[in-house]
Amino acid sequence: MFNVFSPARISVPFTDRALKSTLDRLESEWEDYKSTRDRDAVYLYLTAVFEVVTWLEHEQRAIEYARHALILRGHHNLAQTKLEPFAAMIQCSVGSSELDEKTRSKWSRVLRYAAEYKSLSESLQDFIKRKGGINRCAARYTLRLGRSR
Amino acid sequence: MDPRRKIYIDRIVRECVDRAYPSARLGRREDDRARNAVLAKLLSSLEESGDAMRYVDAKGRIAWRATPRLRDIIKDLEKDVRLEFEDEDV
Repeated sequence: MFNVFSPARISVPFTDRALKSTLDRLESEWEDYKSTRDRDAVYLYLTAVFEVVTWLEHEQRAIEYARHALILRGHHNLAQTKLEPFAAMIQCSVGSSELDEKTRSKWSRVLRYAAEYKSLSESLQDFIKRKGGINRCAARYTLRLGRSR
Repeated sequence: MDPRRKIYIDRIVRECVDRAYPSARLGRREDDRARNAVLAKLLSSLEESGDAMRYVDAKGRIAWRATPRLRDIIKDLEKDVRLEFEDEDV
């Protein structure tokens, strides 16, 4: 990793086109997941979603860009409702007919749980497996965080 | 977003920026401010084209790295070059 030292630090805008490219990339990860029989492939897709929302959360712009992503993908009605960024990014990268709402909600809970408890140095896959798998993480989220939020 | 932050990029993105920088800076002043403006524009363009992606690195900093798509393209190119060299050896 290079550190481009710059005495006057800079700001890099995240444009509509960049958001669209990001959604295209998530779609591509989803297509890759669908086309393989490898059980662990789901972690690549979930990691891609997790990384996007995590940096947006870091900038405190996750809700704003999640709403924008829903509008870009034509989900205008969803963009008006109370938003959960992980669920929104999954919705924007996977067709409604390809993933049922229950699974989308479960994955979203898993990612929220990881966002809360995973260390920066541990991979999402390692974290989820260490915590007992996707279903266990979703349940842990509900137990620990779900009711208080 | 903090408008005054350092930029962390990986080797591939660094090479893309280095390659595009000379033409992108044409007509601009040669100071830090102008240099950083060009760098920001180049990174933004790489995100728009789907070649670079932002993420939070292991130290909790916003950083940029090549997307899986660009990494695959480069891997293929390197493989082609390697094969060509091997052919020449014959």
